[in-house]
Amino acid sequence: MKISLNWLKKYVDIKVSNEDLIRLIGARLVEVEGVIDETHKYDKIYVARVETAEKIEGTHLTLCRINVGGVGKELAKVETDENGLVQVMCGAPNVRAGMLAVWIAPGAVVPASVHEDAPFVIGKRKMLGKYDSYGMLAGADELDFDDKHEKIAEIDPEVARPGELLADIFELNDLILEIENKSLTHRPDCFGMIGFAREVAGILGEKFEYKNPEEVLKADNSIKVKIVDKNICERYTAVVLEKHGELKQKYLTWQDTILAKSGMRPVDLIVDATNYLMLLTGQPLHAFDYDKFVQVGGTDEPEIVVRLAKNGEKLTLLDDKEIELNENDIVITSNNVPVALAGAMGGKSTEIDENTRNIIIESATFSLYNLRKTQMAHGIFSEAITRFTKGQPAYQTLTVAEECAKMLAEGFKVAAVADEVTQPEIVLNVEITVEEINNLLGTSYDEDLTTRTLTNVGFIVKADNGNLTITAPAWRTDIHIKEDIIEEVGRLLGYDNITPTLPLHQTAESDKMWELKKRIREAMRRLGANELLTYGFVSGKLLEKAGQDPKNSYKIVNSISPELQYVRQSIVPSLLDKAYMNQKIPFDKFALYEMNKVYQKAWGMDAENVPVEKMQMGMVIAERKNNSTAYYKAKKYVEELLQGLNIVVKFLPLKDNFAANKPFEPKRAAEIVTEDGEIIGVVGEFKNSVRLEFKLAEYLAGFELDLDKILVKANDKKEIYIGKTEKRDLTVKTNDTYGVVVEKINKVLAKYNAKAEITPGSVYQPEGSVDKHISVHIEFRAGFDNKIMQELETL
Amino acid sequence: MAELETLKQELKKINAEYAGIRDVPAEKRAEFGREINARKQEILAKIAAAEKAAMDVDVTPIDITAPTAPNETLPEVYPQSFGSKHPLMQEIDRVTEIYQMMGFDVMESRQLDDEFHMFDSLNFAKEHPARDGYDTFRTEEGLIPPAHTSTMQHRALKKYKHNLDEGKAIAVVIPGRVHRNEDVDATHEHTFYQCEGVYVSENCNMGNMLGILREFFEKYYGQKLNIRTQPGYFPFTEPSLEFMIEKPKTLGGKKGDFLEMLGCGMIHPNVLKMAGIDPTKYHGFAWGGGMDRLVMLKYGLDDVRYFESGNLNFLKEF
Repeated sequence: MKISLNWLKKYVDIKVSNEDLIRLIGARLVEVEGVIDETHKYDKIYVARVETAEKIEGTHLTLCRINVGGVGKELAKVETDENGLVQVMCGAPNVRAGMLAVWIAPGAVVPASVHEDAPFVIGKRKMLGKYDSYGMLAGADELDFDDKHEKIAEIDPEVARPGELLADIFELNDLILEIENKSLTHRPDCFGMIGFAREVAGILGEKFEYKNPEEVLKADNSIKVKIVDKNICERYTAVVLEKHGELKQKYLTWQDTILAKSGMRPVDLIVDATNYLMLLTGQPLHAFDYDKFVQVGGTDEPEIVVRLAKNGEKLTLLDDKEIELNENDIVITSNNVPVALAGAMGGKSTEIDENTRNIIIESATFSLYNLRKTQMAHGIFSEAITRFTKGQPAYQTLTVAEECAKMLAEGFKVAAVADEVTQPEIVLNVEITVEEINNLLGTSYDEDLTTRTLTNVGFIVKADNGNLTITAPAWRTDIHIKEDIIEEVGRLLGYDNITPTLPLHQTAESDKMWELKKRIREAMRRLGANELLTYGFVSGKLLEKAGQDPKNSYKIVNSISPELQYVRQSIVPSLLDKAYMNQKIPFDKFALYEMNKVYQKAWGMDAENVPVEKMQMGMVIAERKNNSTAYYKAKKYVEELLQGLNIVVKFLPLKDNFAANKPFEPKRAAEIVTEDGEIIGVVGEFKNSVRLEFKLAEYLAGFELDLDKILVKANDKKEIYIGKTEKRDLTVKTNDTYGVVVEKINKVLAKYNAKAEITPGSVYQPEGSVDKHISVHIEFRAGFDNKIMQELETL
Repeated sequence: MAELETLKQELKKINAEYAGIRDVPAEKRAEFGREINARKQEILAKIAAAEKAAMDVDVTPIDITAPTAPNETLPEVYPQSFGSKHPLMQEIDRVTEIYQMMGFDVMESRQLDDEFHMFDSLNFAKEHPARDGYDTFRTEEGLIPPAHTSTMQHRALKKYKHNLDEGKAIAVVIPGRVHRNEDVDATHEHTFYQCEGVYVSENCNMGNMLGILREFFEKYYGQKLNIRTQPGYFPFTEPSLEFMIEKPKTLGGKKGDFLEMLGCGMIHPNVLKMAGIDPTKYHGFAWGGGMDRLVMLKYGLDDVRYFESGNLNFLKEF
């Protein structure tokens, strides 16, 4: 939304600088996204009277001499004739002697081009080889008030004289605020200048003096309005206007400039009046052609029926698009034939045109919930629907329609008025104490200041010794509870005036998972691994490449792209993807890991009836030039990591068909199992097919760990041994696995009640041999005996 | 393997059949070709699947219990100099540490949640246009990858309600990953991190909220800061504010250069009520802000897309 400061100042007496004003608006009313500076946009642009206009044969051009009120002399480079007139060429069809036009003097920038990269500067030009033309006579498009390039703008002689600056006449030296609409979602009243100005008065500590007009027109029963469902339309006012004369010739007016500054464009006198009133009051209006309306309905008198559309009903809108309505759309019908999409856009069949004799001005409110759906379903984001979806209050529909009738009075007179109200006005009082306000804000405002602050913006406050009974004005439909009042007081007086204080500290409990992840992060950095974050959404393709079934993933229905369509089931597939990217960069060797939440449909719902979630850690090790067995490095990482968390595990053959296991090659991967038999993860190399799908070099392995389970097992216990040790090396020739050999050693140690640490030495397998020579280091801490070694040698 | 052979034979047969198209009457050739081609595609798909399966058949098993493969040296982890922590995680750790020092418990936000926690429990009226401001993703089941960490407020209030009975405050921060359906560019990501704060006690006020937030940012940036607010709108707080800090001098900030850091406000009574807390007895405040921006500001990063890029050139800097 755009707010002109000059327009604002018509309603509020502002004594602070523009800079302070904008800062205060930002601090106490709404987010100001930007300020458009138009203080020099209309420099050197004057009103001029065309004194002579001489058509040049064979061209569309007219040679004009214009009276610029003497300013021509002040401008260098402008020659005037003996009568003080300036010569300018004009190509517009409507140029004629006697008219007041707008002259862009040489040296001025064409306003419509000021925001372009190369603003267009007007000068003196020689035209048709012989005529000097100084500056230009401007159309509303060049002045940035319109987009249509048809004719030059004409100024009402009653408002201006030649030589006056256009900017002075229409108050164009202005600052335009760009307002972030989202921060006013709950304030429909601020979507009109009057409501906005009221708030500005409030934040400046001034009483807002503007009085809303009284209702003068009375509803007669000459036209019928029927609202089928009271929940879709709280109030519907229709004023019929009958033509009795011609509307005034179309001059460029101050009102046109207001529409332009607010980001709109002129259409015709009737539509412009409705748009202007919407910008002023926040209440959108719509005008129907009365005679077409009656004809469409096949009735003698208009029968306005407001109802929900039926699925599949069709309606052609003003922009010539035919839409298919649905049951959430509210439609205005003429005797049940849809003629407008309520709150969004009028219909083609009742459009105002140059032959329009009689009109119906609609001023109504509609359910914001329905209009929100309409907005989404049909993609309509007009100024009107933007206001309606904030929930316009119903109190002013009749007065705004009445204002519209007044604006059009020269051509139309009121013939009939209908005003259907479906819901009684509720006057709600909020009881609150000054103390309650101060307690929640942490302030010490007194009763007088609090009362004044609220009454400045239209609240009625009855104060009795610190107890306030507050009645909200009709336009504040958002005020219901004490906190709403507290917000008003805090905001209007400025949150920045609240002194920041600290409440008493108490001790905090850390989140155990969070602490575990911190520990792992520390450990993994020491182990030379890199922590990644990758998206929680993946493509169906990625899942399939990793051997996972997309059907086990929650699927996003409104995903940004197919790349982000599924919620991932485990971490490793995302890392394989990133491993490829990093190998290409190229990085020769790395260990990538991530800890994040994953979801699988197979896990079902938890006690809160939301999907079971697991915190998992995935890791992928990849090297470009290494022909040793990658599995063992991944396993080494698992061992190092778990050792730091004091978790003892075994590596057992991969049996389970978990989704996280899918990318792993069962013959070269293991389940990671704790001493008490719980599976806490998988480690291994990947299937060849997976590796090739991800285009990765041969040296590749990884793991996926269930951190929820690890959290339960991790502990700070640490056996510390400081004492004598006996170190021995042992080599066993065997065709057993390493695990079996260690088990056998442990059995012997147990027999002798000895305590020792076993660490790996080497595994040697002579060429052509089935047997391996497995060497280990044994470090005895207690119960060492040579007999033990002798027995071990026989293994 | 035998299956693959059979399939290849079948493909040969089809190719041979196709050669017979010359003998088919002209008007039937198109149909004939279509039919053969469909069969051929089917076989090719089967061959691809079989070849993929074959790749995984001829694999040499290893001793998964061993420390290394025969005749290979024992594996070693990479040197510490290779290692890095993700900057976002590192900074969020720092953020939670500061809040912990200030007496806040920590819990992490969910990444897949429901309409109730994301909207209903936060006083968003059903179908209210305010819900549109969040550009949420949805799953087929109507679940929502949360668009803000406020999705955890209701849970946090319920979890720590006992604090109030014990005469203490509820004080908790909730970091986590959130998602919004936004086009990605240098300053927008569909995936980012937020940190929520919730504080409830018998007599806390807005001054306390501003005090805690200022304290946090001063600790985080290690210097005194000017703060500023502006009114905002969130259905779950009343009053609602946007909280700004003057850009720290150490990060190249100039006077009057204010940055929006988070949204905050006094918790709406309906939100407390829904979590079973008596809003006539207790008040609270809450806030939530993006972590990515905080970190970008700290390190002078100009593109939010680095964070989830997985690019080691970037990550190894941390």
